[in-house]
Amino acid sequence: MSSAENNTASSWLNSDRRKLILQEYGIFLAFLLLVGILALSNEFFLTPGNISNVLLQTSINGILAIGMTFVILTRGIDLSVGSVVALAGMVSASFVTSSATAGIAGAPYPMVVALAVGILVGVACGGLVGFIVSRFSVPAFVATLGMLSAARGATLIYGGGKPVPGLSPEFRWIGTGNILGIPMPVILLALVFGISWWVLTRTRFGRYIYAVGGNPHAAKTSGLNVTRIRFMVYVISGALSGLAGMILSARTGSALPQAGIAYELDAIAAVVIGGTSLSGGVGRVTGTLIGALIIGVMNNGLDLMGIQSYYQQVLKGALIVGAVMLDQKRNQGL
Amino acid sequence: MKKLMIALASATVLLASSALAQEKLKIGAAPYGLNAEFMQIWSAALEEHPAVKSGEVELTVFDGRYDALVQQEQFNTMITQKFNAIIFVPIDIEAGATAVQAASDAGIPVVGSNTRVNSDLLASYVGSDDTISGYMEAKAVLDKIGCKGNVVIIEGPIGQSAQISRLEGNQKALAECPDVKVLEQQTANWSRAEAQTLMENWLTAHPGQINGVIGQNDEMALGAVEAIKSAGLKTEDFAIAGIDGITDALTAVKEGTITSILQDARAQAQGALDLAIFHAKKGDYKPQSDIWAQYPDMPFNDGKDKEYNVPWTPVTSDNVDKLLDMRK
Repeated sequence: MSSAENNTASSWLNSDRRKLILQEYGIFLAFLLLVGILALSNEFFLTPGNISNVLLQTSINGILAIGMTFVILTRGIDLSVGSVVALAGMVSASFVTSSATAGIAGAPYPMVVALAVGILVGVACGGLVGFIVSRFSVPAFVATLGMLSAARGATLIYGGGKPVPGLSPEFRWIGTGNILGIPMPVILLALVFGISWWVLTRTRFGRYIYAVGGNPHAAKTSGLNVTRIRFMVYVISGALSGLAGMILSARTGSALPQAGIAYELDAIAAVVIGGTSLSGGVGRVTGTLIGALIIGVMNNGLDLMGIQSYYQQVLKGALIVGAVMLDQKRNQGL
Repeated sequence: MKKLMIALASATVLLASSALAQEKLKIGAAPYGLNAEFMQIWSAALEEHPAVKSGEVELTVFDGRYDALVQQEQFNTMITQKFNAIIFVPIDIEAGATAVQAASDAGIPVVGSNTRVNSDLLASYVGSDDTISGYMEAKAVLDKIGCKGNVVIIEGPIGQSAQISRLEGNQKALAECPDVKVLEQQTANWSRAEAQTLMENWLTAHPGQINGVIGQNDEMALGAVEAIKSAGLKTEDFAIAGIDGITDALTAVKEGTITSILQDARAQAQGALDLAIFHAKKGDYKPQSDIWAQYPDMPFNDGKDKEYNVPWTPVTSDNVDKLLDMRK
């Protein structure tokens, strides 16, 4: 690039506002480009049925990635989401199964009970991690790595390593039902997104999260309760993992002990592709949603074209690294 | 009094030496991993073997955690602790050979079970031939669609011995129906959730064209069932088959949604344990499990065979209730 071009580029990008717009819409443009390419190469891609499929297939990762965004914004990381998905899915399933051997006494209970239990399991796991990270200053990587192992083990202990089948139709509705033709998991994702967007952009708590991630020391000296905010983001991530776990078991019809393995990696990938910085304080939940959609659209498109899933993994890897490279460039002012 | 003392002392010595002769056989079982239902049924069957229940054999089960290196280290542990025999279910057909070599060097007999290892040092092997199940399930699907139409194949992790052999069986059955077209063929890594996503996308890519689904295991066949249901289609309009006979699949067979081919984990486990004891005792042993009576086509044959093939059982509406009862 010649220096003249460079100058025009930087003058165009002079105001922070413009830079922000590019940051926000850059990922959106990439998403539209991907959709365009896939729409041209496959006739079924833009059919209503397939759009519904993509959204459905994105919903679980989307919900996990939104929880992950909260954590990463405070410079943390949550490696335990996949295991918490399995644990919450299994424990809640044991409340709504019709199987005599896999359920707890008195099952099946109403769906609401299972939902509350599943969220509580997530909150408990997240709360424990949050407590350890915020009170004992254990690095999030270590604390959540511990939870990744412990929650998986707890899942195997709780279910005796066996799946919990025969979930009540009422419970399965959250995974397979729809309202006005929109699948329930997609509605739940939209709700989670809406609330998270509001919390992060419109509330004091949201601003505090950015403050803690941007500069924890300054946040502390300006009187913020950093410990509490750090604690809360893991509780949020845990609760959303619990929700995702229930959607997963409701979709597959049976809670499986090996469910959710490596889900944390796709969630982190969505956050990173969406432009949230791993060093905290910078990022948007909108970007995360688009990041999750990019992964979902890519997997779906390649399946439609009959391309081996191994290529999907290579492409995803390139996308993650590419997104961060762009991000770094942007941070250096291009 | 002195005589009495001597008598007592010699009695003690005698007792001690006879106790030594009666020492329990230490047998280790090394399955590749205990997270999935099949291997749980397998290891539970070992614990229920008559020789373990009577205390004749002291059994230790090691969880291989789906890692070839972990399994190899467990072999080293068993060798140092001087186990009398090892039952081995390797995660990988090639990587397992090193472990078998080490045990063989230490003079410990190794009996294979369920999955294969590329080694001629195994004392014996008790398993089921996956090409046969692959053939049986594909045949069930093809028979149901009348040997014409389109099918999709959902495969196990590419390169695993079960995936290779089951595909070979699938293809053998498909070759008998040249009019049948394979629309798609991809891996879902034995996972129900992955198969569900795959099938959802295939139903979109080939609307109204898929007649049969060949799932190389039950989990994936069940994932396809969920995808069909969530697309608002009827499972009756599809011929779907899986392999293994896991509990959820038995329930689905009962409901008439899929066909499954049962792999008898109990027979593979107890058969392997009988052979392990036989080789540990250098042939001075009669098998105790009832599985030999259950499968007259697989005689014990004085422990001489290198390979025992446990027959596959198609799960039908006739035997499904009995099988479900056994799982309780």
